[in-house]
Amino acid sequence: MKTEDLQFKGSEKYYLSDELSEIVNMAILLQRPLLLTGEPGTGKTQLAFEIARTQNLQMEILRAKSTFKGEEAAYVQDTVLRLNDARFGPGESKRDVNNFFDYIMWGPVGRAFRSEKKTLLLLDEIDKTESDVQDNLLDILEDNEFTVRETNTVIKAIHPPVIIITSNAKRELSDPFLRRCFCHHIAFPDPDEMRSIIALHYPDSNPELVNAVIKIFYELRERRFEKAPATSELLQWLQACEKADVLPQDANNIPFAGILLKKTQDLLNYRNKKT
Amino acid sequence: MMLGFFTALRENGILIGITDILTFYRGLSQGLAGDLDRLFLFARLCFVRRVSDFDAFERVFSSYFAGIEIPPVEEGDWQLFETKEFHKWLGEAWQNNELPMHPNFMDPAELMRRFWETVREQQERHSGGSKWIGTGGTSPFGHSGYSQGGFRIFGQSKNRSAMKVMGDRRYIQYSSDSTLSEDNMRAALAELKHLEPSGPYDVLDIDETIRKTATNGGEIELVFQRAVRDKLKVILMIDNGGSSMLPYAHRTQVLFQKMKTQLKSLQIFFFHNTVYSYVYTDIQRTRAKSLESVLKNDSDTRLFLVGDATMGPHELLSAYGNINWGDEDPEPSILQLKRLREKFPFSVWLNPMSDIQIENGSLTVQKIKNLFPMFSLTLRGLHNSVEYLNKMAG
Repeated sequence: MKTEDLQFKGSEKYYLSDELSEIVNMAILLQRPLLLTGEPGTGKTQLAFEIARTQNLQMEILRAKSTFKGEEAAYVQDTVLRLNDARFGPGESKRDVNNFFDYIMWGPVGRAFRSEKKTLLLLDEIDKTESDVQDNLLDILEDNEFTVRETNTVIKAIHPPVIIITSNAKRELSDPFLRRCFCHHIAFPDPDEMRSIIALHYPDSNPELVNAVIKIFYELRERRFEKAPATSELLQWLQACEKADVLPQDANNIPFAGILLKKTQDLLNYRNKKT
Repeated sequence: MMLGFFTALRENGILIGITDILTFYRGLSQGLAGDLDRLFLFARLCFVRRVSDFDAFERVFSSYFAGIEIPPVEEGDWQLFETKEFHKWLGEAWQNNELPMHPNFMDPAELMRRFWETVREQQERHSGGSKWIGTGGTSPFGHSGYSQGGFRIFGQSKNRSAMKVMGDRRYIQYSSDSTLSEDNMRAALAELKHLEPSGPYDVLDIDETIRKTATNGGEIELVFQRAVRDKLKVILMIDNGGSSMLPYAHRTQVLFQKMKTQLKSLQIFFFHNTVYSYVYTDIQRTRAKSLESVLKNDSDTRLFLVGDATMGPHELLSAYGNINWGDEDPEPSILQLKRLREKFPFSVWLNPMSDIQIENGSLTVQKIKNLFPMFSLTLRGLHNSVEYLNKMAG
């Protein structure tokens, strides 16, 4: 595999810093899972979609939940169906009760590993899981394989997938898990980068308006709100201002404050501070 | 090759392993670090796992590859004067006659300004690019570096170069020694654990199902169990008395409230300097709640006391020690603290003072430290306290 084949650059809808594009390429080249951390709105998940799109990779997504145990990432066994078949017979289906694999449903990891085509495997918001879940994923990250416990069969990836993992740093990830990844923290975009992001989404925006909203946006981020406004809120706010044809000027008196501040308490604090 | 770099990383608390080094070499041989900026990015990918280590990494990198010694403090922080980087600079600057007069007679603010100016100048020089080559004779780059396109500086604009990025110190607030911000504190606290079965019976117990089905003569009988979930009760007691505690009191409270969704219950109380027979449910300390009723909570409740533990000895040790007029209490505070500790074995004291200050703290600090395990209110301290509590819980 040559480096040139994988050159990943930004696209028309996604702003990519040079730093990040280098990192993505390094991770792909060395076939290491890439763990992206950073606050919401820094485009972690979006990045995975863009890589898949530009590299023409099929995508498998695992969206982590706190109730998630980890095994189902690879496969689940439909025990109830098998019990049912054992009792009442498989009926019209071709399932064989004695064949364990007839009762397996592959999860995103299972599908990515068994796919004939190279895939991109996205483990989204992995920090929502318990640390023992992360331990269950170690073999998957390290050797691109997992074991079906019931039959002790090892499933090895036909084509090692590109693995992207995102985390909002809600809780710390376990050390063994981190050791198997390349880790990168995406800093919140600075005003100049934000300008580029806006230009990608709304190329025709009035520059005066863009400057005004960016200035106020970063001013508000400095205030300690419980949920600081992020990129998506800024984009919505910009659109709202554009539609209503207003030019916000005073950070203490902005139109559509509810778009930027989502929490009631933040909004109340903001309004109180004004007066 | 670059062994000194690896050792320096470990000395600065970045625990790199042999596999990391091998991955690093593998990448170098594939030409991944063709220039200094890529080397910087690639080394960081290989060796640094936590944002809290980013700042340390940047300091080690700039010291090893550019000879620029950056102290582990932020610009404007007076602790600069305690760092070895500052002392080294001061010695050299004095010897080279770069200072207008003896440092003892100079304004500390001026000294500080000059120090950071020197650091910035050094970074400026290095971000030009060509200076990197052959510093001290040894090339810091992998053997593949030269052939792969020489030493280009990353991107078009100079201000994106590694040296500049390091100068920004973007990650210092995540460093383990830094005081807590809401983000990093939440991550550390989220490790608190207390698992117990809860929620609906929705997990199929296969073994039990098969057993029941067999005894049932083959008629399927499904057996469900409850999942094991994390359910934690937390009591937070904050000293919001002295002005030294003010910034921490607010921050700590906000933080615990933010992670409330993860907890089964969270109670927050306030006290002034130390705990007597009443604590307060509001910041102004007007609504009192008797300690007696707090002690009725389950004994597996996690108790966090946050305070500097610094006060007049009599406030802690003598009867009628409360300095708030009208709130005097016949029992010395230390007895009440003992009660708390005995009732809630899963308890820690978090102190905004640094480890050294705690070590050499006043009499009251020592007394309280003998009672509660005391940790500094830094990311590392919090991490250690959580680890301590989890270890206790087994």
